Amino acid sequence: MKSFDTSRYKVHRSCEVKDFHLDVELENQIKENTIHKYVYYAAREALQESGLLHDKSSFDKERFGIAMGTLAAELTPHERLLRLHASKKDNGFDKIVAAVYPPNSITNILAQYFHFEGPAMVSLNACSSGNHAIAWAYDLLRENKVDVVMVGGGDMIPQTEFTHFHNLKALAPEHCQPFDKNRQGLMIGEGAGILIMERYEFARKRGAVIIAEMAGYGLSCDGFHMTAPHPEGEGAVKCMGDALKMARLSPSDIGYINAHGTGTPHNDKAETIAIKHLFKDHAYTIPCSSTKSMIGHLMGAASAVESVICCLALRYGILPPTIHYHTPDPECDLDYLPNRARELTVQHVLNNSFAFGGNNATTIFSKIE
Amino acid sequence: MKRRVVVTGIGIVSPLGFTKEDFWNNLIEGKSGIVPMTSLDLSPYTCKLGGEVRDLHPEIYLGNKGLKYLHKGTRFLGSATKMALDDAKLPQDSSLSDQIGVVIGSSLGNFSETTDYFYEIIRNNPSELSPMVSYDVALNSSINYVSVTFKIKGLARTISAGFTSSADAIGNAYGIIQRDMAKVIVAGGVEQISIDLYLIFYLRGLLSGLDGTKEASLPFDNKRNGFVMSEGSYVVILEELQHALDRGAPIYAEVRGFGNAFVGGKNYSKEERARRVERAMYSALEEADIKKETIDLISANANGCKMQDAIEAQTIQSFYGSKGNDIPISAIKSNMGESYGAAGAAQFISAVMSIHTGTIPHIINHNEKDPKVNLNLILQNPVRKEIQNAMVNTMDYDGNNSCLVISKL
Repeated sequence: MKSFDTSRYKVHRSCEVKDFHLDVELENQIKENTIHKYVYYAAREALQESGLLHDKSSFDKERFGIAMGTLAAELTPHERLLRLHASKKDNGFDKIVAAVYPPNSITNILAQYFHFEGPAMVSLNACSSGNHAIAWAYDLLRENKVDVVMVGGGDMIPQTEFTHFHNLKALAPEHCQPFDKNRQGLMIGEGAGILIMERYEFARKRGAVIIAEMAGYGLSCDGFHMTAPHPEGEGAVKCMGDALKMARLSPSDIGYINAHGTGTPHNDKAETIAIKHLFKDHAYTIPCSSTKSMIGHLMGAASAVESVICCLALRYGILPPTIHYHTPDPECDLDYLPNRARELTVQHVLNNSFAFGGNNATTIFSKIE
Repeated sequence: MKRRVVVTGIGIVSPLGFTKEDFWNNLIEGKSGIVPMTSLDLSPYTCKLGGEVRDLHPEIYLGNKGLKYLHKGTRFLGSATKMALDDAKLPQDSSLSDQIGVVIGSSLGNFSETTDYFYEIIRNNPSELSPMVSYDVALNSSINYVSVTFKIKGLARTISAGFTSSADAIGNAYGIIQRDMAKVIVAGGVEQISIDLYLIFYLRGLLSGLDGTKEASLPFDNKRNGFVMSEGSYVVILEELQHALDRGAPIYAEVRGFGNAFVGGKNYSKEERARRVERAMYSALEEADIKKETIDLISANANGCKMQDAIEAQTIQSFYGSKGNDIPISAIKSNMGESYGAAGAAQFISAVMSIHTGTIPHIINHNEKDPKVNLNLILQNPVRKEIQNAMVNTMDYDGNNSCLVISKL
């Protein structure tokens, strides 16, 4: 890890963003990399691809909303200042930090550059924040309150979160090996993922290239423990089931599951039990991978980035693998797409996210005909 | 068909007391919860006033078990939630679990605990810190505590949108019940005074008393000079109407509409901002499907800031036209200060109580009229008046505007 000194920890690895340089200077920003910069970068790319970046006449900015998920917002740059100025009376705060720290500064900075004036929200739902933001946007779009919503999430790797996971013994020392018998934990990651969601009629009318359709979502809460998942995945069953219900799909319609699959012994076992409980015999035939094996656990951004992955899997007909998978676990006996991607055209994909405190959110995306 | 949504329970932890009765009586009596702050060392700073929550005994509501691991915000939210559930006479076993959700607005969550934890990390050997030190440090951990403690299994959601957070949470919870995705939602806000939050406001120049003046928290007053920070937790039980009727629940008011509009960035003009506030009001009324002329009360965002209060007053005047001068306006931040992410829920509860009791609390600390504010401000004494429809207005410094419309059932 390069973000901070890990010499006093037992784990020294993570999935950091390397060599990131934003080609523009954002106003009133901390010089080093910040979550604003990651989110801005991803937002610009998403808008560019959607065709909305340069065609501002094609939308009504009052009907352009924004929803972002984050676990820690700008905690990482704040920690850098605290390390330098811990003894100062202002805790290292200066005017810039004061302006950027509140999590809603993320939506504020994006609005400043991309000029949308519809409803705005920041979701603080730990590791399911991204899917919560997507679900929120989906409701507004379905009810015709907006035409377009920029959704997604972003997080960096604060030392506090690293320590928290580390001391819960949740971090993998070398590799994140979801569903492997010898899995030892998660690998903390960072970054941002953004999607542009539009009402179907609006997208068609403006001639947009449609990547996928969102079919539904489900939310639930374990109501069980502050940091441990429910051992039988009770909340996970409810939220996957509610998502299927909203999408009007049956378990056999799902062609791929992007698992929450953190790589911790508890999560992967509980998630497998939950999938088998809900999908019954189909569970064994639905490819289900954890892309966290490759990019790590992006916390508040995880389910946003994984929704991007789901949409790309639909678009390209390729299902991403679970890497570092070597030893099957009798308790985790599904088709986890071990180590190699698979070319397979699927119609519907399901994206799970389960956060600390049992905050669960599942989204479903479908191929557009 | 959209479900109707009513308020069936209220829970409060505030600088003006810990139950809806105390809070309401103190507002009606014109008391102030603003005091020289003792929870922070403010010796280097000029602004020292705040709406501190004092003498809360969370063990009354939450028991003693595990209490020592809970931080201030979690104690606030846990206690307020327990009061609200009791007030709504809801069962607190698992019988309703899948039907109950929690949606809370909190702008910074447990941020100060996160900072404290970071100091522990850099001053000690981090790998030797007990996991219990960080048991309650996530920004949303107070909401997690509530879901675990009260066996809430429908959904848990935390919304951070600056000063509009808890109005947004109530608006979102209302939408979720409307869509029949839950029968009952614990909705509201929590925010806590901390040195970090103090510095965020202080360095942005938002606090009252920066110029050395003694008078503070003067909504709509000509001498207003910024806001006084406040803390607390304000929780309501929102419930699907038929569900509430079937179980014979007390019904305080009905939530009718929610509107939200945003203008981000720093470069917007006053006029543009006013247009967005108006848009939020318009959307909320449109959803409520009532005419703006039928609004009998506005619970104003007004917190004593020069620019924001002026924009709010002008917007109300222009949006309501000639009637803008007649609608009674309350501004409870005169009594309790600005509780940031929790403020919208506090205003919401005050408006619900006005509908429920037929009384409008008066604005205190108002001595000098601002010639540009031509509103029917309720001053000096509370007003007795039957209220059919009320509007709750919230505004964030970074451009978010949210508005709720509620009615007598």
